[in-house]
Parts: sequence; C-alpha cells; structure tokens
Amino acid sequence: MSASFDVQTQHGQPTLLIRGSLDINSAPSLAERIDQLLATKPPRVVVDLSALDLIDSSGVAALVKLYKGIRAQGGQLEMKGTRDQPLAIFKLLRMDKVFGIV
Amino acid sequence: MSVATLRLTVPGHLRYRSVAVRFVAEACRLVSGARVFDEHTGAFEVNHPFDTAFVSAFMEIFNNVALHAYRGAGSGDIELVASVSPTALTVELRDAGVAFNIDAIPVPELDALPEGGMGIHIARTMLDEMKYLPGPPNLWRLTKRLTVATTPEVSQSA
Repeated sequence: MSASFDVQTQHGQPTLLIRGSLDINSAPSLAERIDQLLATKPPRVVVDLSALDLIDSSGVAALVKLYKGIRAQGGQLEMKGTRDQPLAIFKLLRMDKVFGIV
Repeated sequence: MSVATLRLTVPGHLRYRSVAVRFVAEACRLVSGARVFDEHTGAFEVNHPFDTAFVSAFMEIFNNVALHAYRGAGSGDIELVASVSPTALTVELRDAGVAFNIDAIPVPELDALPEGGMGIHIARTMLDEMKYLPGPPNLWRLTKRLTVATTPEVSQSA
C-alpha cells in the first residue's frame, strides 16, 4: 500500500490526483507536493480522489493543509471522486461539509 | 459459535504498517464476507462498512503504537491477535513500548479543522469497544460487531 500523486494542468487548472493509500507513510511526500503547488498560487485546485483507497488521520491532515493554504490565498478547492473508506473518514470528521463533498 | 484466532507479529515500525493492515483487512473479510482484493486488477479494496470502520480504527492505533510507544524507532514488536467470530472481530495489539494516559487525550475540535490529534477519536468512534491497558506489555483491544447498520444494503455511499 503506497500512494502516488500527480498534478495535471489543463487550461491553467491544476488537478491533483491521489492514488492508493494516503497515510502516515505517504502524507509527508504529499505535503511537499502541496507546498510546491501552493507556491504557484492557483486560484482553484481540483483534488481527484477517485483512485484513493485508504486514508488515515495523517492523510486527512495533509488535505486540510491544502485546503487552508488555498483558502488563505483566496482560492477554491474542489474534491471529487471520494468513495468508500476515505468518504467514511471525511464524514466522521465532518470534513465532507468543509470539502463540499455531496 | 466458533471463534478463529489469527496471530501476526511485526516489528513496531511504520515500515511494517501495510502488512499489519492487510492482516486486519483479511480478518474483517472473514466477518463481513466482503472481498479484499479486486479480482480483475488485484487492487486492494476496503469498501464494506464493517471493514472500513475497523481498518480505519486499526490504522490509527498501529500508528500510535509505532510513533508513540516505540517513538518511531521500532525498538520492539507489535503482537496482533485477531479473534474472528461470525458476527464480531476483536483485535488485540500488544507492545513493549512506552505507555501513556489515554484519558488525557482531548477530543479534537473538529470545527477548527485540526491538522492532528484525530487518531484516537477516529478509532473510538469507528469501534463498538476500544480498551487500552498500560503495561508492560501495553494492550489495545479493539472490537466491532457486525450489525444491520454495517451491511451494504443499509449503508449509504456518496
């Protein structure tokens, strides 16, 4: 179980794809990637979680960091594709409402 | 009602976390009946409500033991014992690391969007019972029962 991260940009719109297991082992690498992304000051970031299988509290913390960073810059964050265990975790932590997950 | 006992010992380091998680996920499957691996892609799946709850809780507790009991150094083992019955799973984790006062762990203020301190809360909420007995050895006992609410026909998905 590991995670991979990929930022794809189309028409200036970055989409962060996260695959696998975002957890205490992989979250630090994502945090570094997030810092790089935030440095470009994107007005909007889409996070695609459709290929994310598992998340723990460290993974949630990394996404919260991204959310706070984007919002501090006046930008918007959209999460899409959340399912199964990650969705259950977001709901438990009431972050489904924060992240706009329907 | 028959109970099967499964045992696994791993070094108490985060490097071995995925091995332990897969062990527990398979134990969950024995209760829930859900598949763990996608038979077409071989991808690891945890999507039954019972499995997602228990695996979520276990991941947090394993992290806790590796990081805090063994201070990230993996200086001892984590012994896992899974007791599987047709309607419940209990997993015990034993470690020889540093004990702590679980009652001193505050409930996270979720409205403040915390970036830490959520692990114990996740575990406690996902399980029917969670006990921590400081040692040595320290003992975590995690229990969840299969109920109507944890069957896919009743659960909701987004």
